[in-house]
Amino acid sequence: MGVCITGIGVVSAIGMSVEENLNALCEGRTGIGPLRYLQGTKASLAGEVKASNDDLRKALNVGTEYVSRTSLLGLQAAREAWGDNKRSGVIRTGIISATSVGGMDRSEVFYKDYLAQNNPDYKLLTTHDSGSTTERIAKELGITGYINTLSTACSSGVNAIMLGARLILQGTLDRVLVGGSDALSGFTIDGFRSLMIYDDQWCRPFDESRAGLNLGEGAGFLLLEGEKSLELTGNTPICNVSGWANAADAYHQTASSPDGKGATLAIENAIRRAGIGLNQISYVNAHGTGTKNNDHSESVALQNVFGDRIPPFSSTKAFTGHTLAAAGAIEAVFSVLAIQNNLIFPNLNYNMPIVGTGLVPATQLGTDLEVNAVLSNSFGFGGNNSSLVLTKYE
Amino acid sequence: MNKPALYLSASSTISHQPTFGNPGFSAALGPVETSSVLISPDYKAYIDAGLLRRMSKILRMSVACAKDCIARAGIEQPDAIVVGTGLGCLQDTEKFLNTSLTVEGLLPPTSFIQSTHNTMAGQISLSIGNHGYNMTHTQNTLSFEHALFDASMLLREGDRHVLVGAADEHIDMLEDIAARLEFKAAAPLTSGASFFVLSSENGGNANAELTDIYTVGGTENRQEEIDAFLDRNGLQAGDIDLALYAGAPVQGAVRNLDYLSLIGVYPTASAFALHYAVDVLGANRDVRNVLICNALRKSNLGLTLLKAVEA
Repeated sequence: MGVCITGIGVVSAIGMSVEENLNALCEGRTGIGPLRYLQGTKASLAGEVKASNDDLRKALNVGTEYVSRTSLLGLQAAREAWGDNKRSGVIRTGIISATSVGGMDRSEVFYKDYLAQNNPDYKLLTTHDSGSTTERIAKELGITGYINTLSTACSSGVNAIMLGARLILQGTLDRVLVGGSDALSGFTIDGFRSLMIYDDQWCRPFDESRAGLNLGEGAGFLLLEGEKSLELTGNTPICNVSGWANAADAYHQTASSPDGKGATLAIENAIRRAGIGLNQISYVNAHGTGTKNNDHSESVALQNVFGDRIPPFSSTKAFTGHTLAAAGAIEAVFSVLAIQNNLIFPNLNYNMPIVGTGLVPATQLGTDLEVNAVLSNSFGFGGNNSSLVLTKYE
Repeated sequence: MNKPALYLSASSTISHQPTFGNPGFSAALGPVETSSVLISPDYKAYIDAGLLRRMSKILRMSVACAKDCIARAGIEQPDAIVVGTGLGCLQDTEKFLNTSLTVEGLLPPTSFIQSTHNTMAGQISLSIGNHGYNMTHTQNTLSFEHALFDASMLLREGDRHVLVGAADEHIDMLEDIAARLEFKAAAPLTSGASFFVLSSENGGNANAELTDIYTVGGTENRQEEIDAFLDRNGLQAGDIDLALYAGAPVQGAVRNLDYLSLIGVYPTASAFALHYAVDVLGANRDVRNVLICNALRKSNLGLTLLKAVEA
C-alpha cells in the first residue's frame, strides 16, 4: 500500500482552492500580473495571491495581526488538505512545512521603520523565524508532536513530502500533513533582481528567448497516510507517493551545473525508488523557472535520463510564478490533479526550442492520454535538487 | 522495535569556549562569560582564502567544523549532509535587507545568495564535492534535534556515515531585539556550530552511542513526555548519570547540568550539549547514560539519549 495521498490543498496566483487552480490550468489563464497588495517593490510582474492579509485573516478566522503572510497562505492550503479529518489520540499525526522566507514579509516592514527610527514595532519580529510559521499553522489545526520545517530554497516543498513519506515508512508517524508556503517580499524580489534573473516581462520557461523568472507566492499541502491511518480514517486514497530522491549538485552556490549532475541523480534515483520503468512516466512537471541556467541544465538532465524518449513535460511557473519553497508542494498538487483528471498542463509562453537541447514542452492542455505516473522536479540554490514520483492509486 | 545502535564517530564545535580541536574540554569548562567572544580557529587551514573572504561567521564555523569532523572520522565522504539552524544566516540576511532598503540601482548579490538557510549545507557539499542527500531543518529550538533524527533515519535506510550538525550566529541587533521583546535569556546570547559524523558501525573511534531521539512541539506535559521516553528505552530517571538540560533540571537524574550556562543561548545550543556529552562519555567511565533535555523554548521539547560504547 505504501504512502497514500488522501487530501490536497493549494493557494496560488491562479486561485484560492484546488478547484480554482484546476480551472485556471485548464483554461490556460495565468495569475502573473502587476502587484496589487505588496507595495513599493521594483517588480513589474509577479504571481500574487489575490487577497490582502486582512482578507486572509478574516477568511481563516485568525485574530492576531502578528502573523506572517507565509503562515496565512500555508494555513489556507493546509486547512483545505486537512478537510474534515479529526484529531486522534491513536493516529500519530505530524506536520512538515517548507519555507524559504518565513516571516520576512513582516520583518521587512519592521526593518524599514527601524532604519528610519520611525517607532518600529519589535513584535513584528516574533514571526520572523521559519519554524514559527509552521508552529502557527500547527496550532490553528490543533496538531502537536512532530512539527518540523525544512528550508532548502526552491526544493523545500518536495523535501517536505519526501520526509513525510519516510517518517510513515519508518513507522514514526501514521499520517502527516506536508507542504510548503512562501509569501512575496521585497527582500526576495530585490534578491533575484540582484542576480539579474528576474524578468520584467512574463517568464518564458524552456523558450530560447527566456530571460529569467517572475516570483510568485502561495502554498500547497498534501495529507499523507499510511496503512494504519487509512484503516482508522476510512479516507479514500487519491495517489501514491512512490518515489523520491534528493541529491546535491555541488557545483555552485546558486547556479546549476551545465551537465545537470545533481538534477540527473535526483530524477534517476526517484524513478528507481518508485520501481517503475522510464517509459511509465506519463508526464513531467518540470522545475522550469524560465532562467537561462535552470532550463538548460534541467533539459540536459532530462536528456541524460530519458535519452530521446522524453515524456510530455511542461513547467507551470508561467501560471503561478516561482513560489520558491512552496513550488514543490504546489506542483505536487498539480501533479495529483494531472493523475486524477488525466491531464497534461500547457507550458505557457513557449515559442522556440532552446538551442543545443531542442526540447519542446507540451503547449496545449493534453486530455487524450492516460496519466498514471508523474515526475515532479524542484531544484534550488545551494545545489539542492529533489525529484518526486507520484502514481495513480491501485 | 529494537533499533540498531548508532555511533558518534567524530565531533567538532566552534563556540565562545575552547571546544575546537580540544578533546577532553568538558573536564575544565567553566561558565561562559558575558564578555566572551567567538574563539575562531585559523580558518585558512580549512577554507580556501578566496571563499573565506566572502563567508559570514556562520558559514566559516560550519564549513570548518564539517571538515574537521570528516578528517577525525577518517572517512572520504559522508553519504549525506544534514544541518539544523534556528535563525539561519542572520549576518547576510540583515546585510541584504539593509542594502535593499538603502541602495538605489544595482545591488551586490552575495549577501542575498548567502542569506538562505541552506547555505551551510550547500557550502559544505561544495567544499568537499559531495553529491549525496543534502537537507536543512529549521524548527526553532528543535532544529538540531530534527536534523539528528533525520540523520538517524538515513542510517536505518542504509547509509553508513552521515555528517550532521547545527549552527546559529549572533548579530548585534539581537541584543536590542531581546531587550525590546523582554526575552530574558538564561545566559549570554552567543554563536556556535557543532558537527558530528553519525555512523551505523563503530570504526573503533566512537566515544558514544546514540540510543534514541525524540521531539515534541506544542507540549504541555514535559514530565510525562520524559517519563514515557525513558520508559520506552527501559530506563528510569535514576539510571541517568548526567542530565544536560536547558529550561528545567531532570528530576531524579544522578547529576544535572545546565548546558546554557556553559555555552550561552542560541537556538541550536543543544548541538553543543551533544558534543559535551560525547566528550564526557569518552573520558569518564563512571558515566553510562546521558540525557539531553532541551526545553529552551518551553512548548518545544527535545530529548536525546546517549550511552557509553559497549567495550
